[in-house]
Amino acid sequence: MFFQQLVNGITLGSIYALFALGYTMVYGILLMINFAHSEIFMVGAYLGFWALSLLPVWVQGWTPGYFTIVFAIAMMGAGLLAVTIERAAYRPLRRASRLAPLISAIGVSIFLQNLIQVTVSAQSQPYPDTFKISHYEFFGVQVNSLQIFIFALAISAMVLLQVFITKTRLGKAMRATAQNHTVSQLMGINVSFIITVTFLIGGALGGLAGVLNGMYYGSIKFNMGFFPGLKAFTAAVVGGIGNIKGAMVGGFLLGIIEALTVGYISSAYKDVILFAVLILVLIFRPTGIFGEEVTEKT
Amino acid sequence: MKPHSVFRLTLTFIFLLCIFIVISGCDQKGPRVVKVALVAPLTGDIAAHGQGMKRASQLAIEEAIQSNRFKDFKLELAAFDDRGDPKEAVTIANQIISDPSILGIVGHLNSGCSIPASQVYARRNVLMITPASTNPKLTQQGLRNVFRLCTTDDVQGKFAADYAIDKLKIDKAALVHDKTAYGQGLAEEFKKEFQARNGQLLSFDGIDVGEKDFKALLTRIKGENPQLVYFGGMHPECGLLSKQAKELGLSVPVFAGDGILTPEYAKIGGPATEGDFASMTGLPPEKLPAAGKFLESYHRRFPKDDMQPYDPYTYEAINIVLDAIEKTGGDRNKMIDYVAKVTYSGILGESSFDERGDTRNKLITIYTVRNGKFVYVD
Repeated sequence: MFFQQLVNGITLGSIYALFALGYTMVYGILLMINFAHSEIFMVGAYLGFWALSLLPVWVQGWTPGYFTIVFAIAMMGAGLLAVTIERAAYRPLRRASRLAPLISAIGVSIFLQNLIQVTVSAQSQPYPDTFKISHYEFFGVQVNSLQIFIFALAISAMVLLQVFITKTRLGKAMRATAQNHTVSQLMGINVSFIITVTFLIGGALGGLAGVLNGMYYGSIKFNMGFFPGLKAFTAAVVGGIGNIKGAMVGGFLLGIIEALTVGYISSAYKDVILFAVLILVLIFRPTGIFGEEVTEKT
Repeated sequence: MKPHSVFRLTLTFIFLLCIFIVISGCDQKGPRVVKVALVAPLTGDIAAHGQGMKRASQLAIEEAIQSNRFKDFKLELAAFDDRGDPKEAVTIANQIISDPSILGIVGHLNSGCSIPASQVYARRNVLMITPASTNPKLTQQGLRNVFRLCTTDDVQGKFAADYAIDKLKIDKAALVHDKTAYGQGLAEEFKKEFQARNGQLLSFDGIDVGEKDFKALLTRIKGENPQLVYFGGMHPECGLLSKQAKELGLSVPVFAGDGILTPEYAKIGGPATEGDFASMTGLPPEKLPAAGKFLESYHRRFPKDDMQPYDPYTYEAINIVLDAIEKTGGDRNKMIDYVAKVTYSGILGESSFDERGDTRNKLITIYTVRNGKFVYVD
């Protein structure tokens, strides 16, 4: 049973980790918690839903291409949405106090939730189950192809992101911007462009997490982003907010803790234990597992 | 004065003018407006139930207007959305009692909403008939204005446990509930009877409304080898629970209460729900001799929509409120006394209420999912 719970937890953790990356990347660059990220996740899931149900049949027959197109649509859409939100709601407040964009983010989040509720549906909608699920059993542990697919996709997205951040010029510019906007600007980096790229990537990963979440649980709803959003944010904080490796580790850690708590202790205490872990981490390592000591920016 | 403040002053003036027009608009002379309120979750997860109840109420009110029963009144339906949230329910209840034209309330759906809201209605002696809240506590509060048309959970939970033992030959079951007044209440009634009949209870777990991942919980339950999973709660969670159970290879039926009895259930859970069971209060509308006309006019009025389980009850509740208005001339106090003594014969057969306000019809029926639809079995 332990390994079965581990499989459950890792699948859940893959989604949390992808989701948490968006929070942590934006925080790294802007020192701002993007509360609208949970709605980007939700919109991503809806975009995937429309793509899955509306693409013509001949595309559906060709499985790899079909899913590539669906993920491309959802990720591009979610990424562009994140960029639009940044332009409309955060950029005008760049010079305001740090609280202002936070409030603005909550506003965007409420706006998007209600928009989907009013224009699409207030009820949960079944996700098209186009992914052919086959079940495997290894030493008594049930694993299905969708779980493997989610895990593989999440890991490859994270590896790609890590390579992008550490090996490319743009990634280097991003890291520089995270350290200091003014100095980066003096070195010839277009800070606004870097912020746009950050939102684009973070949003796309959030959208990907949304589609995977929809495929895994088979139903989506306008407020589906709230609970996972809270968990993903916690994952980002546990891992060390602003740190990309931290978000990945935090996501998996949270997913596994959640599964093991339900499996061995009680499902009713799941969130109690999860957030107790958060508090413990914050007491003993206020910067999170991977966070570094940084002096407060002025 | 700066041009800016002139502009502001003009705006304020226009705003005040608008308010004045709106207020004076309410003072129109004409027949007295009388409203019946429907309160149910019209949006949110369980809106499928609530929207059905709204359709049934619309039908009842429209029929009453057409029949011209109320010559002195202008009859209206006021539909409110409590989103299935107890806090929201109390806010709405306060809003309702501040409107003197509302003479009766039909609702709420969730027991967790009905119980706190009923206390608000009691303050102004407004008649409340719930067509769907099944937690016994609602009518045990000693409120004289509260009536209930459906059978309670103590009867339903006991019936379900007996059915599982006698008909399904189950002696090992795992229980899951959604920690709400309805879900947990029902699961506890099931547990009581199941254990009293020497059934082996393997586990008793609470989950959260709105949760989506039950795999960890189900993995543990699978290790306990149950013959049945009993669930106290609503269809969005139960559908996913049933689906994920079968994905993990836990191929036992899921048994739940009236909260999952909607076509949405099989849509969420997919083919995994095949063979699942649900108990329901009262007889199905097709078996009610007097309900033929209701079924026909419902499908004529709303050809695109499925009938939800509580639609007949809501229709009946609205009609009882209308009957009370007709017989008492719309006095709030007299309406309550009238309903306490009435024997109303409508589409559910003869309905009357005991001293607590519960219906004397205490029938429970069992449904199962076949080919993606709930069908009546017993």
